[in-house]
Amino acid sequence: MKQGTNRRLANVKTRTETGLEYVMQNLDLNTPFGRKLLKESKPFYPGQEEELRLELDKVEGMMSFVRSGEKQVSKMQETFMMMKDLSFTLERSHKDALSVVELFEMKSLLLQMKTLDKICAEHAVPEEFVLDDVEGLLDCLDPRHDRLNTFYIYDDFSVKLADLRKKKHEYEISIRRAQKARKEEIRKEYGIMLTPKFDVIISRTSEDLEKARQISDLEQVSEDYMSVTFELGKSPEIYGFVKDMENVNGEIEEEELIVRQQLSDRVAEYDQMIRSNCDRIGALDLALAKAIYGIRHDCVKPEIIEEHIVEIVEGRHLQVEDILHSKKKEYCPISITLKDGVTCITGANMGGKTISLKLAGLVPMLAQYGFFVPCKKARIGLSNYMQILIGDSQSVERGLSSFGSEMEELKEILDNSQERSIILIDEIASGTNPVEGLALTKSLIDYLKGRNYISLITTHFEAVTEENDIVNMQVRGLAGADFRKLDSELHIANRKERINIISRYMDYRLYTVTENREIPKDALNIAKMLGLNDEIIEGAKKYIK
Amino acid sequence: MGLLYDLSTKYKTLSIVGMAKNAGKTTALNYLIEEADDEGIRLGITSTGRDGETSDLVTGTEKPRVYLYEDTIVSVPAQLYDLADAGLEIMEMTNMNTAIGELMLCRVCDSGYVQIAGPVATADNKKMCSKMFEMGCELILIDGAIDRKSIASPDTSDAIILSTGAVISRTMKKVVEETTHIVNLYRLPEFETGRERETIEKHCGEGRIMLIDKNGKLTKLGLKTGLGASRFIDDAIDEDTRYVYIPGAFTNSVIADIQRDKLKQVHFILKDPTRIFISAMDWRQLIKKGFTVSVLKNIEIAAVTVNPFAPSGYSFEHEVLRDTMQEALPDIPVIDVRL
Repeated sequence: MKQGTNRRLANVKTRTETGLEYVMQNLDLNTPFGRKLLKESKPFYPGQEEELRLELDKVEGMMSFVRSGEKQVSKMQETFMMMKDLSFTLERSHKDALSVVELFEMKSLLLQMKTLDKICAEHAVPEEFVLDDVEGLLDCLDPRHDRLNTFYIYDDFSVKLADLRKKKHEYEISIRRAQKARKEEIRKEYGIMLTPKFDVIISRTSEDLEKARQISDLEQVSEDYMSVTFELGKSPEIYGFVKDMENVNGEIEEEELIVRQQLSDRVAEYDQMIRSNCDRIGALDLALAKAIYGIRHDCVKPEIIEEHIVEIVEGRHLQVEDILHSKKKEYCPISITLKDGVTCITGANMGGKTISLKLAGLVPMLAQYGFFVPCKKARIGLSNYMQILIGDSQSVERGLSSFGSEMEELKEILDNSQERSIILIDEIASGTNPVEGLALTKSLIDYLKGRNYISLITTHFEAVTEENDIVNMQVRGLAGADFRKLDSELHIANRKERINIISRYMDYRLYTVTENREIPKDALNIAKMLGLNDEIIEGAKKYIK
Repeated sequence: MGLLYDLSTKYKTLSIVGMAKNAGKTTALNYLIEEADDEGIRLGITSTGRDGETSDLVTGTEKPRVYLYEDTIVSVPAQLYDLADAGLEIMEMTNMNTAIGELMLCRVCDSGYVQIAGPVATADNKKMCSKMFEMGCELILIDGAIDRKSIASPDTSDAIILSTGAVISRTMKKVVEETTHIVNLYRLPEFETGRERETIEKHCGEGRIMLIDKNGKLTKLGLKTGLGASRFIDDAIDEDTRYVYIPGAFTNSVIADIQRDKLKQVHFILKDPTRIFISAMDWRQLIKKGFTVSVLKNIEIAAVTVNPFAPSGYSFEHEVLRDTMQEALPDIPVIDVRL
């Protein structure tokens, strides 16, 4: 099953927590076709390295395409925005006569395709995005060849229809003429003036009332205690016209249906071509969106290698970076190299361990989905499976304790992992007693060590890192900071600013610890900086001794 | 040249608003369309939303179904397109949605009956009108709110045509009185430009009751609405207070407890006349007490149409109703749409 069509690289939580979903949601997609394509997009798996390299080359090509023709690209996107998904109409075209509204929408889409085609021709787009010519169908829907974005069952569609409509018009005029003539007669003979609608309201006190009653074809339609309303009756001649006109109306409707049916048949003939055009538009939309995202976020092409390695040079977590940028702050890039085996990240609180962990998931995930990555340089070996284990609010909603949900997820991870997996674990077993927690962590690491997984674990358990065959990376933290300056700044700051000041002095970069494997004890320092009572801090220090 | 021609030289968009349901709004609309056709004015027809009128859609009775002539531009929701008796060329999908489908702008190719509908939101309405002008309309008629209380705001159109009729009351005197009252309210003077108006306009978005004293000093009350707040307003008015701005509905309870001398001393300012819910008689008494008021934006009334028939069966003498109304409103054209 794992290799079948339901195969998945990562579950929803992992995609969300690492930030992949965030990137996908922020793509500038403008067509329903592009959005559908993104939803259906599949990652590349080990064995598909060559295909992925080709895909990334295409993204690279698209990026230079975007850079060289920004004006055309924005014109393309404008056209995209107007497009509608008409697959339901296309389906219906095989069975029923399409309605006028549907035919209008179809014509609009075809016109939009033509517009896109023209822009694409001006600015050579790759062959795979060039649309098939829909001119033939457009000619059917636009008998006047004026290419205006309007639609009606025009007279030009059928000679018969034009004749029928003309006939109907003549009847209308005949009826009106006959009525007007009679109105004029009544005015001359009796001095009663009918309204343009050929009725008249006469007050009971008026002398006209008696006269009106004498006119045989002036029918009394209603009366009350104040007035009487008369309406001009229809003469046999007019009735004749009305009857003929009704017949013509029926014929017009039939003829319109025939026209709609003919047009629908032509639409049905073009069904496949329109759909494949829509697919190409979707592909172009997605390719442009990927390229634009890559350019805007300063991404590079990851080097795809056969070995199972993740090497990130100065990587940035896009979601965090966006937040920082919105606060006008800079992101501190992280470099990290991971290979099969267990790597631990240790270091100060507030040192960005969790973000580094997420970054280690985001970069390979983006690469496997054929995206450029937010790094200075990256080398990625493809994985079969990725999962992140991290505390979230959902466990509380489900009524599980944090430890309970952690264990549940851990089981899921261990059940699903296979050759070439990436497993990211954030401070496991921190929610239980340290004795058992430590034991559990150590045993888990022993288990992971022996497997071909890239395992990255953030932890505060010092003993975990003591073993020789695991890599220990540490956050530089406040080690290089000028504490005197920091202290004086904190002294005058209020509570909100303190966090900002600490993060400014914090060095988030990681380095590999080779000799001294002791974990820095920064927790009390930071608690103190954040303004926790001296009494508590001093008390804690006593216990450490 | 007829009435509509005169109106079309003065206004670009006209809303037709009924004093009450069955006041003859649709009849008035049809009448105006006939006139436009006679005078060769290229019309645009839309409406301010169809919500609340769906029952008419279902039963097919008494709905704003209007007979439109060739080259008129009309807004039609997609689901009503096939019900139209007229030939409609689709010009544009507007992306504005109603309960009965996306609104389309259509050009009438073949005269006939059309059920009209339009956007509900004021902003959409404006957008729709500007699109219609782009398509070459010379005058836009908006099938407005079903009764005057639900008019969103005066800025949907340049002026309104008020439809009134026998449905208001069994006595003609009352019909004329009520209509004149509304007309007078709508035409309340606009608060003159100056330092005080600027102050109010700057702060009126906050929806607070505001007081301005003779030195131009502004005081905002903590109350959000004036409803039932007349005691607090009375408290807040001191001997220097000159203007009081009331943001929300203006009812008897806003003003009931304000002492007579204070009422005389200050000038009230409202956002627009649709906020006033005070009967003709109470209004007259207030004026007698020395109450003065103006609005930030008033409503221009282009014409009044009268319908002498009430659906419950009674009616008035046509000419008498029209002439009495005309006498009461000497400077506004009054039309009997049935004559």
